[in-house]
Amino acid sequence: MAANLETVLKAQGSTQSMLFNLASSKLVENGGGWQRFESEAMPHLPSLFRIAVWLTRNQTDAEDLVQETLTEALASFHRFTAGTNCRAWLVSIMYHHQSKKRRAASHLHLVSDFDERIAETIPFEEPAPQNLTDEDVLIELQRLPRTFQEVIILADVEGLTYKEIAAATNVPIGTVMSRISRGRKLLRMGLAGYARAHGFGRAG
Amino acid sequence: MDSEELGNLRDNGSYSFRNAMKMHCHQFRELADSYLGNELSVEANHEINSHLERCSSCRMELESRRSVRNALQKAFFNDPANQLRSEFVERLNNQLQNQTAGSLHHFKESNNSGRRFEPAFWIALVACLLVVTVVGLQLSRLWSNRQPVSPVIATLNSDHLANLVKTELMESAVGDHRDCAVHFRLAERPIDLDQAGQKFDAAYVNLVPALVQQGNLPSGLEFVEAHSCVFEGRRFAHVVFRYHNRLVSLLMTGNGAADGKAPLASTIPPQQVIFCSQFAGYRVSCFQTGQHAVFVVSDLPEGDNLSLARALSPSIAAHVTRAEQGT
Repeated sequence: MAANLETVLKAQGSTQSMLFNLASSKLVENGGGWQRFESEAMPHLPSLFRIAVWLTRNQTDAEDLVQETLTEALASFHRFTAGTNCRAWLVSIMYHHQSKKRRAASHLHLVSDFDERIAETIPFEEPAPQNLTDEDVLIELQRLPRTFQEVIILADVEGLTYKEIAAATNVPIGTVMSRISRGRKLLRMGLAGYARAHGFGRAG
Repeated sequence: MDSEELGNLRDNGSYSFRNAMKMHCHQFRELADSYLGNELSVEANHEINSHLERCSSCRMELESRRSVRNALQKAFFNDPANQLRSEFVERLNNQLQNQTAGSLHHFKESNNSGRRFEPAFWIALVACLLVVTVVGLQLSRLWSNRQPVSPVIATLNSDHLANLVKTELMESAVGDHRDCAVHFRLAERPIDLDQAGQKFDAAYVNLVPALVQQGNLPSGLEFVEAHSCVFEGRRFAHVVFRYHNRLVSLLMTGNGAADGKAPLASTIPPQQVIFCSQFAGYRVSCFQTGQHAVFVVSDLPEGDNLSLARALSPSIAAHVTRAEQGT
């Protein structure tokens, strides 16, 4: 009961909730509703959370970000076009929220092209090793520049298209494609180097 | 194929092959990731497929890249830091539902009155709603303490979203997808689906026509093959599809009800398609009929896996229910 009470207090007592109520009356007006939102948007919750953890590097902050994202998504669900990629739409909202937070915290996010230059110097590729553990893969992913990690996670883990990533991150599609290509190359090289250093390589 | 044409092919996913020469290995390597990500045009995919047919080293290269991609997905999905806390999911669901209910109330009020109110009115209204909701919750708890939760609430349970149904059946379905569709290393050879239907389960008979031949397949889903196979002693009807170059298995098996045993799939809600779980790097959606449990297993993202299961479920449910009723 205490948890319910807390939820209700949070949901109905705050100014944010009042604003939400005003906005989401449009949702009701348009015949939308929780059930449609639940079936279209809520299955993407685990995916949103993974992206949020990566963005915030903290589970508690990630939960806040997911909560804000879904709250806004529900309020503006009448703007979502049925049949389009709901996850990409949700990820766009999440990125918008995250950039607002960054601005509010006065943490200017400088995108350096230093990372890009690193990738341009890649000479050749080795075959990717096998027998790597989940931990090995994550360590190598985290060694990549953040801009490359971001597009690889969105493309290769969460399955967003280049176009959807460009829209969500507000980065030109050409830059997205270039980062994905270089990031993948760096990751494969990193994994090959890791395997070599730890004395295992390709099976067979 | 010069470097400018190659750039067009990668950047736009389109390329005119009117003067295309045979693709070279270095060109393949430039495009391999886009090919894996299904970002190329049909023509470009065709060109790459032709190259792969004649080049074993590029086939190995592609497999190597695919394995990195799969390893990355698996590592990310399994990372403990990326697992949702059930308390959070429950709290989030409650909040979103309550806010939806709040907006409905607000909308009706404003429609009925046709006037605008001062902010103080809304604050008072919210306060009243809060009191009513709290009292209502208390009363409803007292009155319906032992009544089953409503279907809507049931689908919002945190476990349904994070880690829904880990049953013995689900684990067998994932094992069968992995060992039959992906690696083809089952101990027992699969048999024809209709033949299995005559021997073991009438619902297997004509399952494929019910799914495929009525134009029921969702866009992008391509039928590959169907058979009946056995994984660790459990028999499945197994229909294999391809979706965005990834294998998707539809696996159907008895839920124990027909044998009068305690149902193995008791945690799966009847006739309702849900996302079950992530298990061993695969995503599973499931539903059940009176006597069967049906699983859709793939390494697609959860949303895609669930959407496919939802799209396939009406034709399967209709076919299986007819078979169960002997009509």
